[in-house]
Amino acid sequence: MSKPSHESHESHQSPDTHGHGAAVVDHTHHPHVCAWQTFVGIYAALLFLTFVTVGVAEPVSGLHLGSMSMVVAMLVAALKASLVMTVFMHLKWDTAINNIAFLGSLIFLSLLFLFTLVDHSTRGEADPQAGTPAPYARQAKFVDD
Amino acid sequence: MSGHATIVTPTPEGFRPHAVAHHFKTAEQEFQAGKLGFWLFLATEIMLFGGLFAAYFLYHGVYAETFRVGGSTLNWHLGAFNTVLLLTSSWTMAMAVRASQLSNRKALIGFLSLTWLCAAGFMVVKYFEYTYKFSHGIGPGYFFAPEGHYAELFAGLPFPNLYFALYFTMTGIHGLHVLVGMGLIAWLIVRSSKGHFHSGFYTPVELVGLYWHVVDLIWIFLFPLLYLVP
Repeated sequence: MSKPSHESHESHQSPDTHGHGAAVVDHTHHPHVCAWQTFVGIYAALLFLTFVTVGVAEPVSGLHLGSMSMVVAMLVAALKASLVMTVFMHLKWDTAINNIAFLGSLIFLSLLFLFTLVDHSTRGEADPQAGTPAPYARQAKFVDD
Repeated sequence: MSGHATIVTPTPEGFRPHAVAHHFKTAEQEFQAGKLGFWLFLATEIMLFGGLFAAYFLYHGVYAETFRVGGSTLNWHLGAFNTVLLLTSSWTMAMAVRASQLSNRKALIGFLSLTWLCAAGFMVVKYFEYTYKFSHGIGPGYFFAPEGHYAELFAGLPFPNLYFALYFTMTGIHGLHVLVGMGLIAWLIVRSSKGHFHSGFYTPVELVGLYWHVVDLIWIFLFPLLYLVP
């Protein structure tokens, strides 16, 4: 991730003032232009990974991966998402602050997932004292557990 | 620089000049400020969908059989076709941003139009998927009253409406984002044809592009979760 160059004030007086007094042309912004071949390559990779994720899926291949099917599907999706983010969304060449803003949301998202998982997987292990009257005792578990 | 001079960005021949808003010091500062604001908005979008994904993962773990049966009633061919449409639209959008950076008006309008058409195709497929499910009594939450062989499939399952409550909420909010994106892309096409976007000013194309890629990102996760994972 490299910071685009911030030239200090490169500007010059425009000869064309459109009759509105002096207009100053500001040359501080330089677009980062990607080669079109890069975009085509990423597009091809995304289509290939879609083919992979469909190909290994149980309803298509008949493979019984059990709980691994979720892991495989999410890993392939994460790989596709990272290609879109780094190249199509230009994060690879964007400023540090924009990377922090967006990747920060993914960190908070993982906190949400983590605590939801910890909550669910420890249900019933931290029950209140025996004899707690319903419905409080029931709340520690899902209704039909 | 004189205090009252208007700051404009470099404008190629035949395009409309862009005046930098007076509260920005430079064109680069204006561009980066707009972009940071938009990245923060996209972070809130991730959190919006993140809550729904957390609900999906939790209930998928607890009511696995309900989710297995629910997912098996979707047609993965349609989901895969829609995935290809959205990936294609993400590529054409990246190419549209590039065309605006190069002041190539024809390519910009062409790629934006292709992006819009892919989005429209996505919504047409979604329309047929939704109406087919509705016609068999499969609706969100309260409207879940499966008929025919669907009634047999869901008979005896705990919380049989849970899978489709999440399916309609997640794909519904995602579909709304696609519709909003189509409106934004149409607006970009109109402004592009008037020569508003060029190497000196393309911020709206860049930001709508980022929005569109997030719509694609969400679908990249929705497709395997809803259609493929048993």
